[in-house]
Order: sequence, then structure tokens, then C-alpha cells
Amino acid sequence: MPALTEARKKSLRREMEALLGPGAVLSDPDELMVYESDGLTLFRALADFVVFPLTAEHVAALVRLAQREGLPFVARGAGTGLSGGCLPAEGGLVISLMRMNRVLEVDYDNQLAVVEPGLVNLHLSWAVGARGFYYAPDPSSQQACTIGGNIANNSGGPHTLKYGVTTNHVLGLEVVLPDGEIVWLGGKTRDPQGYDLTGIFVGSEGTFGIATKIVLRILRQPQAVRTVLAVFNEIDQASEAVSAIIARGLIPAAMEMIDQLTIQAVEDAFGCGYPRDAAAALLIEMDGLAAGMDEQAARVIAACRETGAREVRLARDEAERQLLWKGRKSAFGAYGRISPAYLVMDGVIPRTRLPYVLRRVNEIVAGYGLRVGNVFHAGDGNLHPNILYDPRKPGEEQRVVAAGGEILKVCAEVGGSISGEHGIGLEKRDYMPLIFSEADLGCMARVKRAFNPTGLCNPGKIFPSRKGCAEAGFASRPHPIEEAGLAQRF
Amino acid sequence: MAVSAPALREALAAIVGGDCLVSDPALLAALAVDGVTPRWAARPGSVEEVSRLLALASAEGLHVIPRGSGSSLDCGMPPARVDLLLDCGRLSAILEHSPEDMVATVQAGLSLAALGAALGRHRQRFPVDPVGGASRSIGGVLATSATGPLRFRHGGGRDLLLGLRFVQADGTSTWGGSKVVKSVTGYDVPKLLVGSFGTLGVIVEATIRLHAMPPASGAWLLSFASHASAAAFVAGVLDSTLQPERMVVLNGPALKAAARPQARAAVAISVGSSAEAVESQGGDLRRLGAGLGATVSAIPDDFWLELGAVLAGPVRLRLAGEPSKLCFWLAEMEHLAGEASVSVSALGEAGSGAVRAALGRAALDGGWLLRAVASLREGLSAEGGYLVVERAPREVKDEVDVWGPISPDSLEIMKRIKRQFDPSGILSPGRFVGGL
Repeated sequence: MPALTEARKKSLRREMEALLGPGAVLSDPDELMVYESDGLTLFRALADFVVFPLTAEHVAALVRLAQREGLPFVARGAGTGLSGGCLPAEGGLVISLMRMNRVLEVDYDNQLAVVEPGLVNLHLSWAVGARGFYYAPDPSSQQACTIGGNIANNSGGPHTLKYGVTTNHVLGLEVVLPDGEIVWLGGKTRDPQGYDLTGIFVGSEGTFGIATKIVLRILRQPQAVRTVLAVFNEIDQASEAVSAIIARGLIPAAMEMIDQLTIQAVEDAFGCGYPRDAAAALLIEMDGLAAGMDEQAARVIAACRETGAREVRLARDEAERQLLWKGRKSAFGAYGRISPAYLVMDGVIPRTRLPYVLRRVNEIVAGYGLRVGNVFHAGDGNLHPNILYDPRKPGEEQRVVAAGGEILKVCAEVGGSISGEHGIGLEKRDYMPLIFSEADLGCMARVKRAFNPTGLCNPGKIFPSRKGCAEAGFASRPHPIEEAGLAQRF
Repeated sequence: MAVSAPALREALAAIVGGDCLVSDPALLAALAVDGVTPRWAARPGSVEEVSRLLALASAEGLHVIPRGSGSSLDCGMPPARVDLLLDCGRLSAILEHSPEDMVATVQAGLSLAALGAALGRHRQRFPVDPVGGASRSIGGVLATSATGPLRFRHGGGRDLLLGLRFVQADGTSTWGGSKVVKSVTGYDVPKLLVGSFGTLGVIVEATIRLHAMPPASGAWLLSFASHASAAAFVAGVLDSTLQPERMVVLNGPALKAAARPQARAAVAISVGSSAEAVESQGGDLRRLGAGLGATVSAIPDDFWLELGAVLAGPVRLRLAGEPSKLCFWLAEMEHLAGEASVSVSALGEAGSGAVRAALGRAALDGGWLLRAVASLREGLSAEGGYLVVERAPREVKDEVDVWGPISPDSLEIMKRIKRQFDPSGILSPGRFVGGL
């Protein structure tokens, strides 16, 4: 696609300003740079425009304009994604939904809320909290990430072990299709009529259109919560504890593992009370009815002890619970203090393969002369190895990428998945053949053609580029709120 | 390329073996779909055979209808013709079950009962329990998006399905999703197949998420003097922090069919948890019910297995409305039926807004059913709901669109998807909503 001429750019800018009002169109390169990447900062691409619509009609008009001009376009929320999924193709439109951030309706009788895509995830729980409700999917960036972005990536989070991921909580969507038409997929009823268009839209990484209204289930807050920290001298013991707890028929709300490197980084930075010499810790949270909760906690504690936990601590009060969670949630800020950069990995394996795969991850990374910190959703088998490195050292980025690729191969070999919650985006598109055959990918391409026949809606994502990705360096650097220990990425 | 009928028969038999191809007219007549007798019925024994059958069907323009247990084949518009009934009954193996990972991969023809028996040995279950559906196949349950009482706690098939193998119209065997409990690798294609009623592909294998059987459980029937009291109870439970596994509303005739004491309406509710939590919840539920004038009785575990009789009959409707209006729609249906002395045995899934109702034969007299369907649809559409005639005699289907109207915008997208998956229109053509 030829670059837009300056004259054409000016004229398009005027057209979009007339539509959206002043201040809603950015085209100055300095301003555009803010939007050149997401949480995976070494993928970069500049748009021609970043625009800030207020209504679905605005979005539709922008999409029609992009189609008319043959310009690629991509929706963007808070930009906390970790796979390069909301990056513009070189040029084109970034449609930021950040000004469409209202809770439009809450219907407690039917336990649903209608929200706009730019709403910050946590703000929905705040909005319904006083009435005893919350929104269950809790990506760890939930103080910043938006519901629209969650829809695109089918986001998870620690508590999805018990409550399911985003797709289990979305009832319907008002969507601007890639041709500019505004349609409803699903609605407020629990059962879709016809094909489950809501189900296929969620997790389509912005390639099927742009959601402008979202109907979500909200849940009653649980009666009681118990949080346990179990400390292990060997990482295999912690893995075994995870299986032992599940084997007892218990489904904790969350079951998170934190390895030694991460514990030490967190303790150095924030002092959350994790023992520095532990090989691994499990942070286990149970919620539900008050009756039977102590018994449930006792069974979890017993399972941890039987698999060799040297210490098991039950949080005595909310303050202690918050401190333990801070240890988990501030891992990324802590990495930022011990390493100039790190690559955030995301893969899923059968829970029972945790001991083997964690050993392989450590071997692979060590083999490249690098260090890795693991902090992840152990109950789901959703790994997050974080490979630390220094991008200023020649060749180190390439080694990180190669190690990451080997880790994904191990996930695939044991029957797992190469992304549990971050999405494929640009980062992993060339790894898709590890999981899917050409026929499988061909089927996905057909679905894409049904929604996005011109391909202008978020091009270049999910499907293999056929160019290979090894030459692309990518990495993450901590965001300031992570450095402060306020939020994390997964 | 048009091939003669004997040559086609030979080609089909070459794929599945002569023993597994039905071409005897009497046997085929017994397999009729909405009164339309298939030309052939094939019972493939492998995914490979399903692929070859569909490749042949695609090349020859044969209309294919996939069949599981056959219990829901009459759900949908009558087919114009059925060239090949593709019976998945021989695909009934459990391919993998990893109890520790609580995941299983099974073939589509496996029955819920057989799966339940195998999982039960590990104190696990697949919590999808359409009433009266123990003999139904996994593939059919997914293809029809069937739900039952356990949905209250565990969601439906769409929520428990992790991965799916299906054969596309052209015979391409295709995998979507994953074999682990969490994955966002690629589009969630399995979601499209769930509830697609055999129009997008033939489901051959499913990887499903399992749950542990609760260590203790309890179940109660709370009988009320009015729908309003039952509705108040349901609302009270939904607005509480209690966590039942099942909660369904039954009307008077449904109670009779389930051999329970008569009442205007009743709520059947079960909890599954630790013994202490079961006892505590039971107490809370009984107190909540008593405050609304309920008579409470304990119900045995097999109560849930015997609910099939509630929905037996020549006509069955499914209403999808707002969850909070469940009892309203139940009452509305009774009101319409009462005027014409039509019996209505209804079961509502609390929390989901789905009501299923079996209507007596009188519903077919004097066009009452058509008027009732139109009237209920009008009311439901005002709240974004809809009504499906899940079962009815052929002559009714000739008069009414069993799926009802659908928004033209979303239908247009569905048509585009259908064209992508089944360009020559051989998979259950015209049977699903909007003529899909």
C-alpha cells in the first residue's frame, strides 16, 4: 500500500475532525509514537492517525472511511496487551476506544451489565461492588486493561481457575463490522439464537470488527475467602501440591506459583513476607460459602504438607491477604529492578506435566546463558516464564527469542497450547503451525473471510507470516505502575 | 459429476463396508427425518471414513444429515431431501481420559450415560445433563447446544468444551481449540459448531473439561401456591451468596409427570459441596422457602434422571427470555393453554431464562399452537428473547417457522459463515434458523 501523501493526510484529518470534533484526531508523529506498541515494546509500528470516537456511529464512520481509502485499521484499548495484537500495520488508523468508557446499564435482577469497550476492567467491579456483585475475569492488569481488550484476547487471570475466562461471561456485543455496519451479536438472553457469533467474536483479537457495547454477566461476591501461602524447598513439590489439591476434588478460586528468582526479586523490592530461600511458593485462594470454608482450607493445607511444604501460612486477615497478593502482583515491577528487560512468555500445559515442563524451561533458558523467573497460574497449567536479559548486549535478544520458541515447542509437545491468555497477535503467529495443521488454519481463515473480507481490519495478526519470526526482536519493559508494585501483567 | 444410484451405493459401501450402509427401504423408513426417508444411512467407524463420506457427498451434491442418538433429529425445519444420514453411533470411544488433568477426549457418538459411567469410577463427571438425555450422544448434545439443570452451576456445553474435531463439508478433518483447560491460540472455532445443528460440519471428537463429583449433596423440592411465590424464591436465591448446583422451576403438570405432590409451581434445587456446606445451604434454602409459604420435601438423587417424562409429548417448545421473567413466561404459557384446555408441562432453568414445555395433543387443534407461538414470540421479542418449536408433527412445521424470526443483520453474518464452511450447501441445508 503506498503511503498517504501529505495533502491526502491533511484532507482525511479534516474529515475525521469534522466527524469527531477537535482534539480527537492525532497525526503528529510525536503524538503517534505513544501508540506505536503495546506491552510488548519491541514490536513497533506507526499509524497515520490515532482517533478517539465517542459513539458506535463514530466508529462505523471511521471504519467506512478506512475501507473507502483502503487504509488498515485496528482498535485499541489501554495498550496493555502482550502479543502486539493492537499494533497498527504500518500506516492506517488506530481507533482508540478509551473515551467510550461508560457503564451504560446494570440489571441486577438479570445479573448483567452493559458497558462500553473502553471501560477499565476493575471499574466494572467497583461499579457493582456496593450492591454485592463483581465481574469475575481478573487479568492482573485489571487496574488498566479495558473490557474491549479483554474481549479481543479472551483474557484470563488468577481467578479464572474457578470462574472461567472472558468468553464464559460475555452474553452479547454490539459490533461495528469491518464494513462499517453496526450489528448485535447475541444479546441479553443466555442462549444465542443461531450460530454463537458472540463466542467466535470473543478472542478474535480485533480481526472481526470493533465491539462498541458489551453485555457481561456479573456475579455475587462470595461469602468468604481464605488465602494460603505454601512454601516449598523443591519446585517439584509445589507442582505436586497443585495436582494433589485438584485430586482431592477441590477447585480453589486461584492457585498461583512463584519461583525462587521471583520471590527474591519481590522481597528485595517490596518485602511481602515470602521466604527468600524457598524454591517455590504457592498462593492458593479459596472462596465460596462460609460454612465448610475452614474445612476446605484445612484440606488444602494438608495436601500441601503431604507433598512436602515446609511452611503453610493461612492469611489471618484482609491486610495479610493483600500483602501476600502484593507479592504475587508486584513480580513484574520486581523483575524490572533486577533486569533491564524481560520477555513475558505465555503457554499452557496439562497440569500434571508441570514438574517436567518447568525443568525443561529452566534447562532451555540456562542453555542460552540466561535467567528465567516463573510466576504463573499453576492451577490452570498456564505458564508465564519470564526470561530476563539485557537488550544492549549484542546477540542477547536473539537468544531470548530462540529460548522462547523452544519453550513454546515444549508446550506443544506435551499437548498444550502456545497461549493461555495473551493471544497470538504478531508475536506468536509464526508458531501457530506447532498447534494447528494447514487445514485447521484454513478453517480459521474462512471464518475471518466471513467477517473481514477485505482484510483491512487488524491485518497481519494470528496467521503465520511465512517469513519466520526469528529476526524480530521483542521484549517487555515494566510500566511505571508495575515498577511501583501496583499492577502486573498476568 | 452425476453418478448413477447403484454406483453411489457402491461407493458408499466401499467406504464404510456393506454392513454399515443401510439401503433397505424398510430400515430407512424407520430413520426418516420429519417424514423424509433418507436414500442411505451410513455408519462410519472412523474419522477417516467420515471424511471420505463427506468428500463423496460434496462431489456428488448429496444432502447429508449427521445423526447421534437420533433424539433431536426432529428439531429443525423439515429437510427437502435426505440423501445420506450420517450415523455417528459407532464412533463411541473414550480416546483419552486424564483424571488428574480433569480432561477427556471422546468420540462424538459416545452416550452421556456411557461417559458418565466411565467418569464416575474416578468420581468425576461431565456436568451437561439435558433432561431425559442419558442416551444422547456427546456430538448431538454439543451440536444442539442442549442444556439441563446442572447448567446453573457449571454452564453449558459451550463453556465446558475445550477442543473439537469436526469434518468439514468437503471432507477435511479439522481441529479447533485445545486439549488444555485454557487457551487463546487462534479463533475459538469450536464455539461456532456448538448449537449449529449439523449445518457447519460433522462433529467427530470433543475434548471436554470435567468436574469432580461433590463429596456431599442434598436436594429439595419447594412447592408454592403461586408462580409469584416461586419467582420470589428464585430471585431470592439468585440474589444470595448461596451456590446451588441445580435450580429448576416446575409447573403443576410437570410435577405430576415427575410423580411429585401437586402444587401450582415448585422449585427443585440441589447443592453439592462439603457436608457442612450442604447442611448450611439446605437450612438457608428451607428458611427462604418457608418465608414464602413453601412446603419443603427432600428429593432423591434419581429425581433428576427421571425428569424426561416432564417434557414428553408431541409438541415441545423452548422459550428464551430474561432470567428474571422465567416464571412470568411459564404463567403466560399456562394462561394461553388454559383458555383452550391444552395441557402444558413446563420446566424452567432458573438463572438462564430457558423454559421448555411439552404441550398436549389439544395444542394441535384449530390452529391454537400457531396462535400461541405467535403470541409468545411477540412478547418475548420485546425483551430480546425468542421461541423455538423444538418438536412438532410435520404438518405443524409446514405452517410455522420452528426457529422464529432472527435479526437480518446477524443472519447475514451467519449466512456468510455457512457459505464459507459449506459452499455447496450439503450439510442439513435449510433446517436451521433463517434457512441456514
